[in-house]
Amino acid sequence: MKPEEIEALKEKAFKEFSEAKNLTDLESLRVKYLGKKGEITQALKSLKNLSLEEKRIFGSKINELKELLEELYQERKRVLLLEEEDREKGIDPTLPGRRPDRGALHPLTLVIEEICEIFTRLGFEIVTGPEVESDYYNFTALNIPEWHPARDMQATFYLKNGALLRTHTSPMQIRAMLEKTPPLRIIAPGKVYRCDADVRHSPMFHQVEGLMIDEKTSFSDLKGILSFFAREIFGEKTRVRFRPSYFPFTEPSVEMDISCVICEGKGCRVCSQTGWLEILGAGMVHPEVLKAVNYDTTKWQGFAFGLGVERIAMIKYEIDDIRLFFDNHLYFLESFK
Amino acid sequence: MRVPISWLSEFIELKKSSEEIAEILTLSGHEVEEVFDPYKKLGDLISVKILEVLSPEDLKEVVLCRVTDGKETFSVLTTAKDQVKPGLILALAKPGSLTFSHQKVEVKEIKKYRSEGMFLSPFEAGISEIKDALLVFPEDTPLGKSIYEILNIKEPVLEIAITPNRGDLLSIYGVARELNLICGWELKPLSFEESLLKGEPFEGEIKILEEEGCFRYIGRLFKGVKISESPFFILKRLFLCGLRPINNIVDITNYVLLELGQPLHAFDWEKISGKKILIRRAHLGEKLLMLDGVERTFTEEDLVIADSEKALVLAGIMGGEDSGVTENTQNIFLESAWFNPKWIRLSGKRHRLTTESSYRFERKVDPEGVLFGALRATELILKITEPSEISQIVDVYSRPFKSPLIEITSQKINKILGFKIEKSFIEATLKKLGKLQTEGDTFKLRPHSFRQDLEIPEDLVEEIARLYGYDRIPATFPVAELKAKASRLELQLERKIREILKGFGLFEVITYSFINPETLQKLNLSERDERLKVIELENPISSHLSVMRTSLIPGLLEVAKFNSAREVEDLSIFEVGKVFFPDTELASEFTHLAILLKGEKKLLPWEGYKRKYDLFDLKGILEELFSALSLEVEMRPYSQELFLKKGFSYDLYLSGIKIGFAGAMKNYVLESLDLKKPLFVAEIDLSKIYTLYSEVKRTYTIQKPPKFPSTFRDISFIIDKEVPYGEILSYIKGLEIPYFEKMELIALYEGPPIPEDKKSITLRFWFRSEERTLFDDEVNALQDEIAKKIFAHFKAKPR
Ligand SMILES: [Zn+2]
Repeated sequence: MKPEEIEALKEKAFKEFSEAKNLTDLESLRVKYLGKKGEITQALKSLKNLSLEEKRIFGSKINELKELLEELYQERKRVLLLEEEDREKGIDPTLPGRRPDRGALHPLTLVIEEICEIFTRLGFEIVTGPEVESDYYNFTALNIPEWHPARDMQATFYLKNGALLRTHTSPMQIRAMLEKTPPLRIIAPGKVYRCDADVRHSPMFHQVEGLMIDEKTSFSDLKGILSFFAREIFGEKTRVRFRPSYFPFTEPSVEMDISCVICEGKGCRVCSQTGWLEILGAGMVHPEVLKAVNYDTTKWQGFAFGLGVERIAMIKYEIDDIRLFFDNHLYFLESFK
Repeated sequence: MRVPISWLSEFIELKKSSEEIAEILTLSGHEVEEVFDPYKKLGDLISVKILEVLSPEDLKEVVLCRVTDGKETFSVLTTAKDQVKPGLILALAKPGSLTFSHQKVEVKEIKKYRSEGMFLSPFEAGISEIKDALLVFPEDTPLGKSIYEILNIKEPVLEIAITPNRGDLLSIYGVARELNLICGWELKPLSFEESLLKGEPFEGEIKILEEEGCFRYIGRLFKGVKISESPFFILKRLFLCGLRPINNIVDITNYVLLELGQPLHAFDWEKISGKKILIRRAHLGEKLLMLDGVERTFTEEDLVIADSEKALVLAGIMGGEDSGVTENTQNIFLESAWFNPKWIRLSGKRHRLTTESSYRFERKVDPEGVLFGALRATELILKITEPSEISQIVDVYSRPFKSPLIEITSQKINKILGFKIEKSFIEATLKKLGKLQTEGDTFKLRPHSFRQDLEIPEDLVEEIARLYGYDRIPATFPVAELKAKASRLELQLERKIREILKGFGLFEVITYSFINPETLQKLNLSERDERLKVIELENPISSHLSVMRTSLIPGLLEVAKFNSAREVEDLSIFEVGKVFFPDTELASEFTHLAILLKGEKKLLPWEGYKRKYDLFDLKGILEELFSALSLEVEMRPYSQELFLKKGFSYDLYLSGIKIGFAGAMKNYVLESLDLKKPLFVAEIDLSKIYTLYSEVKRTYTIQKPPKFPSTFRDISFIIDKEVPYGEILSYIKGLEIPYFEKMELIALYEGPPIPEDKKSITLRFWFRSEERTLFDDEVNALQDEIAKKIFAHFKAKPR
C-alpha cells in the first residue's frame, strides 16, 4: 500500500463514518473497515511483502488510522444513540401531571400566623385564653364598669349560665398580667364574639391583642412598633396615620390608619374616598387596668393594641364580604393554596 | 351626631370648608363618618314642565297633568287645580322620594288614573314656610334637574362619631367649642340677659328627695302658651339633624338639646297633682304608661319625677303619656336637670330604652349648662309661644359641682409620651382646658365643668398629645430585654397538625363556635351523651346559632351541606377549634381536631383512576398524622359512636384513654342532613394529647444503608373470612423469627375459586442479616416454619 492510498482510505472512511445515518449503517461501516476482513485488516495484511523498514512506517500509519477510525466509530455511535432516543415517539406531554395532594390553611389562620410571626420576631410571646369569659375580665377589670356607655360599643352575647362570650381579646391583657410578672411582651390571637351580622360584621371574628409593659415603654414606642408592623404586613410603601381615639382601658388612646392599599391613598370605594383604612386601636395601658392587676403604676407603663384579623385579611386579599370566611366554600379555600 | 355646618357657623367663625373641618375633627379624635346633604338624601326632587292639564269627568277634586322632565313624560294628579297650567315649571317629588315633612311619595292610582309623583310647595321642598302655593320656577329653568341644584341650596351636615367619653360634644355648641380648642377660631360665648332669670314667684314646689340620683334641678312655669306648629327655622334645623317635629314646645326642647346638649322636659302643668315636683326613687312595682305607648314597671333603682300622687317621668329618659304637652296644653312646666349618669345608664339598660336625653345624661352633661339650657329654652318659648305669664327660675342645686384638681409634672408627660415636649406648649394647652396653676414643673388643673372626661393625669397627657398632633410625635423603637419564650406546646402542636394535614391535601375551615342544636340532635346521640349538655346562648342572633358547640362535627357537616348546594360534592377538610362544656364557672374549653372526607378522591380521572373516598383514606391520614407526631394511637375497630357505621369505624385510644373516633357516617344520619354518602369523619380531643405529646421524646431511630442484601419469601394461604387481618398481624408480631426485617400484606382476595366463607392472603416476609448474605436454604427453612405456624394457628390452608 502506498502512502497516498492510505490517505485516500482515511478520507473515504472518514466521509462514510460521518455520513452514517443510523446504527445499522454504522455497524456495516465498522465491519467494512474495522472487521476481521475489513479494509484495515486487509491493508495490514498487504504489508507482508514490504521491507522491514517500510513495514514499520506503513504499519504504524495504518494502526494510527485504525485507532482514529475506532474513535470515530465510537463518537458517531454516541451521537446516533442519542439521536435515536429523540426519534422515539413521545406521549402527549400537554396532558395534566399527577399532582401530589396539597391543601390550604384558612386565610384567617394565614393572617394570624403572619401577625404572630412579626411580633415574635420582636420578642413577643404568644399566649391564649378562654373564649367564654366573665363580666369581670371582659369589662370591669378593663375599666368598663356596668354603667359605662362604652359597653354600647360591644354588643355582647350572654350565656344562660351567666358568663359571656368575650367581645374582644383584651381580657387576655388582664389574664397575662396576673399570670406573669413585668416586664412582659405578649401577643394573644383568638376568636371574639359580638351579636351583629351583616356584610361587614360577623357574630364571630378574630382579634390579636398585644401588650408590652416595662418601666419606660412610651407612646413614641407604640408608634414605632405599630408603624413597623404595618409596613411588615402591608409592604414597605405603606404609610401610617395615628388618630386620637377612646378606649376605656387605654389613655392616651389611638387608632392607626394605613394608606389605602387599593388606591395607594388616592381615594377609592374601599377607603370611602379618604385614602386611609382603619387597622387597629391602641393606647397606653390605663392606670385603672394596672391597678386591677396590682401593678405599681408609678413604676410600670406600656402600651396595648388590638387588631381585627378579618379586617386585615379583607384588605390584604381584597375580600369584600366577611361571610366568605365562615361559609368555607371550597373555591374560596382553594384561593389560598 | 349630626352637625349642620350652617348651625355650627352661628357659634364659631369657620375658616375652612366642610370637608376640611371633617378632616380636622377626624384627626382630633372625632371621626367624621360622612359629610352629606339631607336635602339630597330626600331622593329625586326635580323640575318638570306641565304639558297639558286634563280634567276628566270622573275626577272631581283633582286634575291630571301631563308633565315632562325633559326626557320622559308622565302624569301627576294634583289638588292644586287653580295653580297648574300648561307651560309652568314646577318642583316634583318622584315616587320613592321623601318630602321635607317626612312624607313618602308613592305611585298613586285614582280610578284608572296614575299619579307618578307629587308637586311640591316651598314648604314641602323645605325652602320656606309657604304651604299654600306650589313652588314655581322661571320659564328658562332646565328640566329634570334637582331643585336644590337649581336653587343653589347646600346644607352640608357632618355625621360625627362621638366617643363615649366626650358627652360634651353631643351638641352644636359643644362641637364649636371643640373647634375653638383645636383651631383657635373665634367662639361666640354663651350669654343671656339677666332679666331672663326673673319672673313671677313659682306657685308650685320642687323637691329633690334622692340627691344621689339628681344633682341639680331647674324648673320654670309658663302660662298661657300657644301650642302650634314650630316656625320654619326650627323645623328646618330639626330636619337637618334628623328629628321629627311634634309641636312648638316639644320642638323647642329638642332644639335646645341639639344646640346646647342639655336635655329638657316639658310637662302639662295642669296634669301635675298638688303642684309638686318630686325627684325620688320609684316605688317597687310603680307603673307608668310612657310616651312610646309602653307601660313600664319600675324598681326602687329607677329615678322618677313625680307629683304628689304618681310618677310622671322616668327621669332623664322618657316622659309619661299623660303629663306630656298636647295641643290643648295652656300652662307648661319646663325642666332642665342634671341626673347621675350611672343611674340613667342602668335604668335605661333595665328598661331597654335609649333616648336622645338618656344618651346625653349617660355621657355626662355640663352641670353649669343646666341653667343655660333653661334660659335658651325660655328665650325661644317667649318668642315663639307668646306666654301670658312666666315664673322665676327655680334652681335646686344643693351640692354645686366642683371639678377634680389634677396634678401632673412635665417629667411624667415626657415619660409617657417618650419625648420632651416644650413646657410652654404644655402650659398653653392646659390653660385652655380649665383653671391652671403652674409651680415650676408641676401643673395643677381644674378642668372646665363641661370637660368631665378629664379626671386623671393621663387624661391630660392625651389632651396635650392630641393638641400637639399625634403625627408630630416621633416613632421610636423601645429598648427592652432580649428575652422571649417559645410559644406553648399546645400552639406548636396545633400548628404542626395544620401543616401536616395541609400537606395531605386537606383544606382548613373555620366554623362558628355556636351551632344549630338540631344538627346535633340529628347525630342520634344517646340521651346520656355529654355532648347534649350544651351551653345555651341567652341572646343568639338566630336559632341556627344558639348553642355552644360540644363537637366540631356539626360545623363540618354544615360546611359539607353548604358546598354540596354549590357545586362541590368532593371535599376533604379539617378544623382545629374549641368545644365548650358547662362548668361551675365560665366553661370547660377543649381544643378539638375534626376531619371530614366526602365524595371522590382527586386522582387522575383521564387515566381511569377515579374512586370514592373509603375508610382507609381516613385511616391512612390518621396513621400518618400520629406517626408524624410520634404518638402511638391505637385505632380500635368498632366505634361506640351511634352516628358511625359500626363495621366501618374506630375509637381512638392513646395510652388507654379514649381520645376520639373515626369512621363512616351512617346513611340514616346523612339522609336526615340531605348529604350524599359516603362521608367519613374523625374527631380528636387534642387537649388529651397535649400531656402525652409533651412526654414523647422526639428522637429518631437512625437507619444506615444495608451492608448485605435482603431476601424475601411470600406465603399464601386460605383462611376463614371472619379472621381480621389485625389478628394475623399481631400473631406474627408475637413470633420470634430470626433475621426477620419486615412484613407486608401484598394480596387479599375473596371470590371464586376460593370458597365463600374463606379469603386468600399473601404475605411477603423480608429477611436480612447484618453480618452476611443469607443462604437460600436457611431462608426457605424460615419460610416453611412461619407458614406452618400460621396454618396451624389459624387453621389455614396453603394456596
Ligand atoms: Zn382607597
